[in-house]
Amino acid sequence: MGNLNIFAPVRDYIDALVHPTARHDALAAARHRAFIAPRLLGSFAALAAVPVYLTMRGIPSAMEMVIVAWLVAPILVAYFLSRTGHYEGAHMLSSFALTGLVTAVAVTTGGLASFAAIWLVIVPLEAALSASRRVVAMAALFALGATALLLGLGIAHILPETIAIDGQKLAALGIVSAALYATGVALGGEALARTSFWLRYAEDDGYQSLAQHMTDVITRHGPHGAVLSVSPAAESLFHARVHDLMGHGLFDRVHVADRPAYLKALADASVDGTDKAVEFRVRCGTANNTRPGEVGFVWIEMRCRPIDAATAAEAGSREVVAVLRDISERKAQDDLLAEARMQSERASEAKSRFVATMSHELRTPLNVIIGFSEMLTNEKAMMLDEARREEYAQLINESGHHLLAIVNGILDMSKIDAGSFEITREPFAPAKVIAGSCELMALKASQAGIAMEQRIADGFPDIVADKRAVHQIMLNLLSNAIKFTERGGRIAVKVTREGNWAVLEVQDTGVGIAAADLPRIGDAFFQAKASYDRHHEGTGLGLSIVKGLVDLHGGDLDIRSRLGKGTRVIVRLPINGERGRTPEPARSIAPAANPEPVSADYQVKKIA
Amino acid sequence: MHKTVMIVEDNELNMKLFHDLLEAHGYQTVGTRNGIEALDLARKHRPDLILMDIQLPEVSGLEVTKWLKDDAELKSIPVVAVTAFAMKGDEERIREGGCEAYLSKPISVGKFIETIRHFLGSAEGEPP
Repeated sequence: MGNLNIFAPVRDYIDALVHPTARHDALAAARHRAFIAPRLLGSFAALAAVPVYLTMRGIPSAMEMVIVAWLVAPILVAYFLSRTGHYEGAHMLSSFALTGLVTAVAVTTGGLASFAAIWLVIVPLEAALSASRRVVAMAALFALGATALLLGLGIAHILPETIAIDGQKLAALGIVSAALYATGVALGGEALARTSFWLRYAEDDGYQSLAQHMTDVITRHGPHGAVLSVSPAAESLFHARVHDLMGHGLFDRVHVADRPAYLKALADASVDGTDKAVEFRVRCGTANNTRPGEVGFVWIEMRCRPIDAATAAEAGSREVVAVLRDISERKAQDDLLAEARMQSERASEAKSRFVATMSHELRTPLNVIIGFSEMLTNEKAMMLDEARREEYAQLINESGHHLLAIVNGILDMSKIDAGSFEITREPFAPAKVIAGSCELMALKASQAGIAMEQRIADGFPDIVADKRAVHQIMLNLLSNAIKFTERGGRIAVKVTREGNWAVLEVQDTGVGIAAADLPRIGDAFFQAKASYDRHHEGTGLGLSIVKGLVDLHGGDLDIRSRLGKGTRVIVRLPINGERGRTPEPARSIAPAANPEPVSADYQVKKIA
Repeated sequence: MHKTVMIVEDNELNMKLFHDLLEAHGYQTVGTRNGIEALDLARKHRPDLILMDIQLPEVSGLEVTKWLKDDAELKSIPVVAVTAFAMKGDEERIREGGCEAYLSKPISVGKFIETIRHFLGSAEGEPP
C-alpha cells in the first residue's frame, strides 16, 4: 500500500475507481482502495511477465493459456467492485478466482502434491481483509472444496500428466510466492487497521474538541438518571469539577424544588423513549467555596433523548443523552418582563383607583355647592330668610375653596407623579424660610387657640434644596398640625442637624393617628377618619405632596404618632442636596423602638 | 303627623344640606354620621325613610343597609342611597346591596324631593 503514497497519479487513478457509495466513509474508501490497488497492479505485473515467459518456454500448453487468461480475473473483480461498490461480493469473487487459479495450476502440476497447493491457505487469509465473517467462511469453503477436489482427483488417478519440471525448485517457488503474497495481505491488513485507528482517533478528537469548546454541556445518564459521563464544558458552567458531577453529583446540585421535574424528564426519556425538555436550577460552585449567603443558581434547559431510540422495545433501562444549556439570561429577562407587566398592572389599578377617589372627592363639595345654590335659586318656594341666605352663600363659598384646594393638590400631585415637578436646588438658610412658613400659619394657629413655638439652632448651615418646596412642606405640615389639634394644644417646630442631614420636625398634641392608619398616611386622598370625634376638612393630599417633595430631594419622611397623644412628623433632607444618600434605603413600617418625646407607639417611614 | 327621614351622612355640610332641604319641605329629620349608631337610631325613631351615604367611617353604608334589611322590624323602611360613588357599576352594586333607590352626588334638588315623595307622599302623611 506504501506505493500508493509514492505514486500520486496511480493513487489518484485508484481513488477515482472507488465506488461513490464508499467515498463518503473514509474507512470504506480505504478498504476499497486496498482491494482494488493490489489486484490491478498484481495482474498487470503478471500479464506483463507473460511475454517473457513465452519467449523462455515457447508455445504454451492449453492449460498454460487458461492460467494466463485467469490472470485477468482480479482485474475484472476490481472492475466489479469499482462499478457496483459491492465489497463483500467482490471479495467472494476474488476468493473464488484465486481458488480457481490455484486449483487449475495444481491440477496440471500434481494435485495436492503440487507446489501451488499451499496457495489454498492464502484464500481465507486474503478474505480476512474483508472484515466479514461471511466472506471468510465462503473463502474457507472454496479452499476446502478445492482441496477435496484435488484429493479426489488424486485418489481417482485422473490427474493430467504432470509437466516435468524440477520439483524441488517448484516447491520453493510455491512457498516463497505464497509467503510473499501472505506478507502482502498481512501488510494490507495492518495498513487498514492503522487507517481505521487514525480515522477513529480523528473522529474522537473532533468530538472531543467540539465538546470542549461548546458552551453547552453534554451528559450521558444511566438508569435512574445517574450521570455516566459529562463533557468538560460543565466545569465552566457549574464551576465544579467533572468528577463531582458524576453519579448523583449533578442531581445533588439541582434545586430541591426542581428535582422532581429533572428526574421525570430523564425517566420519561429512558422509559418512554421520547425526547424531553426540562428547565431547572443548578447550584454553582463547590460546597467548599460557597457560603450559605452566596449560593448561586444557574437556570438550565436540558433536552434529553434516549440512546438508540430505534430499539425502543427493550424499555426500562435505556441510557439517555442530554444537552444542558445555560438559560439564566433568558430567565432573568422573563422575570424582568413579568415584573414590568405586574408594575404596569399595579400602576393601571392605582390609576383607576385614583380616578374613582377623585370623582368621589370632587362630588362631595360639589353636592354642597349645587344643592345650596339650587335652594337659593328657589328661595321663595323654600321660604328662606335673610340669615339663611347668607349662611348658604357662605357654605357655597367655603366648598368652592375646598374644591379649589383639591384641584390644586391634584395638579401638584400629578406633576410630582409625572416627574414634571421641577425642583431648583440652591443654597439657602433654612431658618429664614421656616420662620416665614410659621409666620404665615401663625394667625390660623392663634385663631384655633393653638400655641406655636419654633426652635432653630443658631448658625445652622445653608442647605441645598428647592426653597419653594421646603416652604410648601412646612406649610402643609403646619396646616395639618393645626387642623388636627384641639384648642389649647401646642405645636413645636424644630430644625436640627444629623451629619449630612437637615432634620425638620413638626410635633403637635393633636388627635394622633391610629396604628392601623399609619401605613396609609401620605397616600393621596387618604385621611384617617376612623373614630375621630370631629370632622376634619381637607383632601388628604397635603401629606402626599410633602412625601412627593421630600422624595424629589432624596430625603425621607418619618411619622410617629399615637391616637389621642399627638403626632410627630420628621423630614430629613440632605444638606448638600445630593440625592441617593438615604440613611436607611428602604421603606419601613414598624413600631417605634424609641418613641420619645411624644410617646408614640407606632411610626411609619416613607423614603425616596 | 309629620313623616320622619333619617339621614346617615358623615360630611357636615352635606348633612346640613339634606336636613335643610327636608325641613323646608316639611319632613322631620334625625341624623347621624356614624353607621353603627344608625341602627339604634332607627329602632328608636322608627323613621319612614332612610337616606344613606355609602362611604362612612368604620362601616360602609352598604353594610348598614344589610343590617337594616336583616332586621325583621326595620327591613320595611325604604333605604335611599345618596352617594358620591357615581362611577360605572356603582348604582348596580348599591341596588344589589338592598337599597330601594340610588341618588348620586351632586344631587338635583328636584329629583331629590321627587324621590322622597315617591316613597313618602307629601310631608303631611297622605298616602304615596
